[in-house]
Amino acid sequence: MDYLAEKYLRPRKIPSTACSGCGLGVIQKALVKAIDELGYGVSDIIWGTSIGCAGRQTFATWKGDGFAGTHGRVYAIARGLRLAIPPEKKLVFTVGDGDAFGIGFNHLLHAARTNTQMTIAVCDNLGYQSTGGQFGWTTPSGVKTDSSPYGMFEPNWVRDDMDVLHILREAGATFLARHVSMDGPRLEATFKKALQNNGFSLVHVIYPCTTNFGNNALGTRRAVDIFRWIKERAAPLGEEREGVIWKTGIYYDASNSRPEFSELMREKVGEIHRRYQNEGAS
Amino acid sequence: MKERVEILVSGFGGQGVVRLGQIVGLGAVHQGFRVTMLKSHGTEQRGGYVRTQVVLSKQEIDSPLVEDPDYFCALSSAAYKQFGHLVTHGIILYDPSFVQVDESRDIKQIAVPATDTAVEKLGRPIYANIIMLGALTKVADFFDKENMLKTMLSVVPKFHEENRQAFEIGYNMV
Amino acid sequence: MKRYLETGNFAITQGAIIAGCRGFFGYPITPATEIAEAMSRLLPQVGGYYVQTEDETAAMHLAVGAALGGMKTMTATSGPGYILYADPYGWAIGCEIPLVVLNSQRVGPVSGITGAPGQGEFYLTRYPTQGGNFETIVLAPNSAQEAFFLTVEAFYLSERFRTPVTILADQLITDGWEDISIPETDEEKEAMGLRFAERKVHPGPEFYPPTDEIDLPPVVLGHNTGALCSDWTPTEEGYDIETVEAQHKHAYRLIYKIRNHMDLISRYETLFLDDDPEIIAVSFGTPSRVVKTAVKKAREKGVKVGMVRPITLWPFPDDLFNKKAIYLSVELNYDGQLVREVQRAAPCDSEVHFFGKCGELPTVAELHDLFDKLLKGEPLKRQGWETEAW
Repeated sequence: MDYLAEKYLRPRKIPSTACSGCGLGVIQKALVKAIDELGYGVSDIIWGTSIGCAGRQTFATWKGDGFAGTHGRVYAIARGLRLAIPPEKKLVFTVGDGDAFGIGFNHLLHAARTNTQMTIAVCDNLGYQSTGGQFGWTTPSGVKTDSSPYGMFEPNWVRDDMDVLHILREAGATFLARHVSMDGPRLEATFKKALQNNGFSLVHVIYPCTTNFGNNALGTRRAVDIFRWIKERAAPLGEEREGVIWKTGIYYDASNSRPEFSELMREKVGEIHRRYQNEGAS
Repeated sequence: MKERVEILVSGFGGQGVVRLGQIVGLGAVHQGFRVTMLKSHGTEQRGGYVRTQVVLSKQEIDSPLVEDPDYFCALSSAAYKQFGHLVTHGIILYDPSFVQVDESRDIKQIAVPATDTAVEKLGRPIYANIIMLGALTKVADFFDKENMLKTMLSVVPKFHEENRQAFEIGYNMV
Repeated sequence: MKRYLETGNFAITQGAIIAGCRGFFGYPITPATEIAEAMSRLLPQVGGYYVQTEDETAAMHLAVGAALGGMKTMTATSGPGYILYADPYGWAIGCEIPLVVLNSQRVGPVSGITGAPGQGEFYLTRYPTQGGNFETIVLAPNSAQEAFFLTVEAFYLSERFRTPVTILADQLITDGWEDISIPETDEEKEAMGLRFAERKVHPGPEFYPPTDEIDLPPVVLGHNTGALCSDWTPTEEGYDIETVEAQHKHAYRLIYKIRNHMDLISRYETLFLDDDPEIIAVSFGTPSRVVKTAVKKAREKGVKVGMVRPITLWPFPDDLFNKKAIYLSVELNYDGQLVREVQRAAPCDSEVHFFGKCGELPTVAELHDLFDKLLKGEPLKRQGWETEAW
């Protein structure tokens, strides 16, 4: 990561503050690599994060401008921010599963509805891990956590008949994908596509938490065991097999098919503004 | 005129009470007065009465409340009953189609048959509030008639000829 | 100068646009909806943006987000929406992001009575978010004209102090009609005392210096300054840190940048305080106008009564209450809020009383009756449950 780190990341945040064996770094590296391969510089991107592991561990790692919003609200902040910043800037977010699919879901839906440009990596460690390991909205069925001691029996949002990505598609998202952090080059390729959509892109990435999820759900903190457990339950779309929870790949790609929110606003407001300047009316 | 003049207009929803207050207020602004105007809201609107409280003065206005009206335009029975007692020295202009006044009161109460006249002469009761405006403009003699007429025409969206007539009828009625 | 007979809502909108507001983010709520409606019509005409959001939490977050991008922004609501601003309000305070928030108070608790005036958010505006360790600026107009003026002033103060400023109005101010003068030329603006501050961009890298200095440009994203802002305790450069010392520095700045510059913020109106009045009536917002009439009329009858009207509610103007007197706080609530601050600030040997009403204004007649009772030493007890207890 030396070349990428030197070019894009703040030395003060290296090494990362994440737990040993945490999969967050792998996701972030894939994202930064995609950014590099597309030829973006530090000043082209504003990096936003939020609360929880994904937010805290990635905040202020990006060398350029960055922020960490209130829990679940970066999607709302972004809609305001987009109207004020130079249009060519890109918003890239690393957020958690609780942030996107729980507390922030209403705002996420409206960001999708308006097709506001933001490339969101939902870094999913399968529950609320920074608070010690409680179940979340993607925690697999039957898994024991500190708040599901009898096993997760509430329905989650990653099922064939009830998939959070389907909701987001219906809500207006223009790019949707799902991966596990071990997907390597496939994950990078997906991020590249997501970044090239001038609109709402969301990439849902499952990653291993060695500290809480591993210990609570699987009874081990050994990274290799947790990696294997996730990998066994993931397969590319179209190559599903028995016991697969996470089908990986691009779920929906309507990139650049409809106007981006701030572009639309600029256009409409520009028209009205010019009309009133010309007429001098009020 | 007095340093501070209080005008109360009250009736039921649909009689143009707020519109009447608005024209009076705006006319006063055009005459260089400071003006406040509170209109009643919410439940009052659906219940017994709608109320507009207008205060005008050449000085800055403190309280916007009409506690002792100099002029009270009473357009409904409920309004008269609710607010009539506030008038201690002022003048009540009332529409006899709806209001039966308490004759025992030692104040000036002037009948302005606005609704009947509106129907009779202009064919529709909706002009009653403008007839009342004309009457008020005459009675509150510090108002400039031409200014009020002009203001009224700038506020009402249509039927200018009928409204102009209504205003004149009201002005000449008292 | 242009004169109108218009609502406070209109006046506030005009003030915001004159102050350079180019982004308004709102959610419909009585009695502040008309501000949103007017903004949706007027802002595009001057190249500004109106966005209607999914809820008030989003409205305030969009307003803060756009402000963080360098835009002057505003949002307006009533109590039930203001409480949902708590989350982003704290973020804006902590990251020192300037913007203007208007709260037109109605009758609470919860939805209460929608189209009537209340004053239930006196304390809420002091503590609009959790956690403490900050000071807030809150301005309370008592007329549409003053609401216009204070809207412009709120934008000015928000820039200089790098903080959100709340304008605490009430339903009668926003919905009430009044003659309003809107200045058009620079001379007219200056004559009215309007003050303006442009948005600047902090060049970095020390975005959060531990000082009480004002006029530091705020953090703005998108200018390649390496700007950082977060909801955690910041280092001076904006990195997240969890140390007691860093937190203390941050809190010091958030509190004392405001407290140490009261001369720029404080506004008030007083009446008849020079001859040691026996009674001093205290009030803000629309009821203060009735109080003023009542005080003037009582004076005509020889009653030694004075008046204090704080216009800047927070930081609370303790200095205005240095006279020994019988204080009477007149508020549009039944629980007594302003009265508690008066009690705290007044000399210990003063009497402090409370008169509350909600949904409608107190009348001059009622206030005169209260003055009489206070001078005779009679309790302000009214009927049944309507007792003076706060």
